Amino acid sequence: MNDPPGPTKTSVTDAATEDVRPALASRPWLLIWRRRLGEVVSQATALGALIVIGAVLTVLSPHFLTYVNLSELVVDAAVTAIVAVGETLVILTAGIDLSVGSVAALAGVVGAQFMVDLKLPWPVAVLGGVLLGALAGFVNGGLVSWVKLPPFIATLGMMGVARGVTFLVTGAVAVYGVPAGFAVLGLGYAGPIPVPAICLIVVIVIFGVVFMWTKLGRHARAIGSNQEASRLTGVPVGSSLVLVYVLAGVLAGFAGMIAASRVESGQPNFGIGLELDAIAAAVIGGASLFGGQGTVAGAIIGTFLIEEIRDGSVLLNINTYAQDVIIGVVVWVAVAWDYWRRRHITGRARAPVVAEIPQTSSAVTPPVHGGPGPRT
Amino acid sequence: MKRASLRLLAAATVPLLGVAACSTSGSSSTSSSSSSSSSKSLTLAVVPKAIGFDYWTHVEAGAKCAASKLGGVTIDWNGVSAETDVTGQVSLLNGYIDRGVNGLIYAATDIKALLPVTARAQAARIPVYNIDSGTTPQQVPLFATDNLKGAHDVASLMNTYLHGHGNVAIVEFQPGTMTDNQRKQGFVQGLAAYPGLHLVADQADGSDASRALSVTNDILTAHPNLNGIFGSNEPSVIGAAQAVKQRHLSGKIVMVGWDAAPDEIAALRSGEISALIVQNPFRMGFDSVIAMTEHIRKGVSVSNEDTGVYVVTRQNMNQPAYSAILSPSCANPPLPSSDPWLKYVGMS
Repeated sequence: MNDPPGPTKTSVTDAATEDVRPALASRPWLLIWRRRLGEVVSQATALGALIVIGAVLTVLSPHFLTYVNLSELVVDAAVTAIVAVGETLVILTAGIDLSVGSVAALAGVVGAQFMVDLKLPWPVAVLGGVLLGALAGFVNGGLVSWVKLPPFIATLGMMGVARGVTFLVTGAVAVYGVPAGFAVLGLGYAGPIPVPAICLIVVIVIFGVVFMWTKLGRHARAIGSNQEASRLTGVPVGSSLVLVYVLAGVLAGFAGMIAASRVESGQPNFGIGLELDAIAAAVIGGASLFGGQGTVAGAIIGTFLIEEIRDGSVLLNINTYAQDVIIGVVVWVAVAWDYWRRRHITGRARAPVVAEIPQTSSAVTPPVHGGPGPRT
Repeated sequence: MKRASLRLLAAATVPLLGVAACSTSGSSSTSSSSSSSSSKSLTLAVVPKAIGFDYWTHVEAGAKCAASKLGGVTIDWNGVSAETDVTGQVSLLNGYIDRGVNGLIYAATDIKALLPVTARAQAARIPVYNIDSGTTPQQVPLFATDNLKGAHDVASLMNTYLHGHGNVAIVEFQPGTMTDNQRKQGFVQGLAAYPGLHLVADQADGSDASRALSVTNDILTAHPNLNGIFGSNEPSVIGAAQAVKQRHLSGKIVMVGWDAAPDEIAALRSGEISALIVQNPFRMGFDSVIAMTEHIRKGVSVSNEDTGVYVVTRQNMNQPAYSAILSPSCANPPLPSSDPWLKYVGMS
């Protein structure tokens, strides 16, 4: 950052490289630890905010801390949270997915059409919706990975394409007449637990494993830390990115089906602005838009914070637009905090990945040629 | 092709220039008409607030029905995807002005922001009418529901169903639009006449049924003693009714809705919804297209028109007049015999 990068300083200044190649020095562990600490601190802050706001709402409204309200809150949050987990995975790679709201709407209406027009059993239709989400994600990933479009542009295009197709296939009219059984997905209960909450838990468990213990999770983190370095150390950047976007699409499609079930119809206007909630949730939960940081737990906490504010605002009959103001301010605070902690906890403020590439590649290349990079 | 139609447009609209430019009272008329243009083919752009709701497809059906009865009129139907997308609608309409359509009929997504577009169309000698939602000030003829009156009806229905006392809530869709404001205003004014009815919650859902569902759930949590809900457009009603049903409060809470999407009608039939205020979007599209065509071709004078509302309940929903309004079609159009435009297409 401040000195010209020399071979001796590289291992200290370039945290990204060390993330990918932990065997190169002993100090990287410190840096990785500090980064994880940064994530944990962010999550703890968001969790603290969640609890404090919850306490305030409990005082202000006698209805906040009730089973009915909390189960509603969980159900409301489930759709956004599932999308936010996928969004976080994308953000982990230093990407962004603006298409998740449109893809969720597309999956919802087409899934509903599978049931209404093709008379498919609802679980098959749900699977169809999810696969449609996967397809949209595959296109996103392909555009990012192989056509080399910036993620912002690739997914901005998909945002328009998916919304447009949603209107085209429905003739812009909501799809009504879904079978009664379909309501289970969004409205059902297993004992005292709402089905969407169970869906969310399943997603949390699966993606918790994906983030922490799979090659894909490690690769995503490495790509987000430093794409060029990852490539040089043998990370299959292209296919990993495609898979990441596919998974984000799968989750968007699944969330879209739950949302459709909740209103027992395919609503073409569903999910406008959902991508922004998902991004906000990820960031509030400690994901960094510069990549390399982000966790499932963070996405969940972030989503719940947003939904808690929305829920509380309605309970207190606060003006709708004031709610958006509050959430906007929370996002500012979260991002400002993200920068601050980078400087003071993680050890350095990272420039966007693109800006690092020249420095990194020149500094890193020799060791890579010098010996086989460690498997990641 | 495009150039030819531009010339046609100029020929057809030149005599109307003075009128369009100075009509400020919501009505327009022309002194001399060009009879030579009476059979020229016209392209009219009809732009809803957004595509995506059952409601707007009835406007489309009405407009296309009128075009088929008039002959030589092509309807160019297009809209943005969200009613909140004001800038999107502005650029869509500007596109039509640039392409030189013969007339522009649109539902304003914002009461102020669309004024420059209307002015620009008029400067380009393209006549403009508003349907459903107009602008303030209303400078061109408006074919719309009297939302204030309809919302007054909602308050009086609530009073009837609740026998004069109870707590009510409104789930509105988009504060800041004329229709939303008027429905809320009409409801609040109407409630003022009934001291036993109290408005305890007022929340908006951005025309998203999922949001309406969660907002209504929260309202029901905050007000366990709620007696009535007014959902002021289709997704608001769908979401609110879903929340009521989910909490097994159907029949216990009086639901009065607006519009008549298939699920709203189904819920009316099953008793989850007590009454629906049904507008006549078909007539908005139908009358505005005939009026604009006759205005362009024959210089007929056009002014604001209240297209009326129907209060549809479980009891009356199967009567012929009400079934036409619930499922309008060109074969069975929901047009009262008092409609002044029927005579121009030989239907009176």
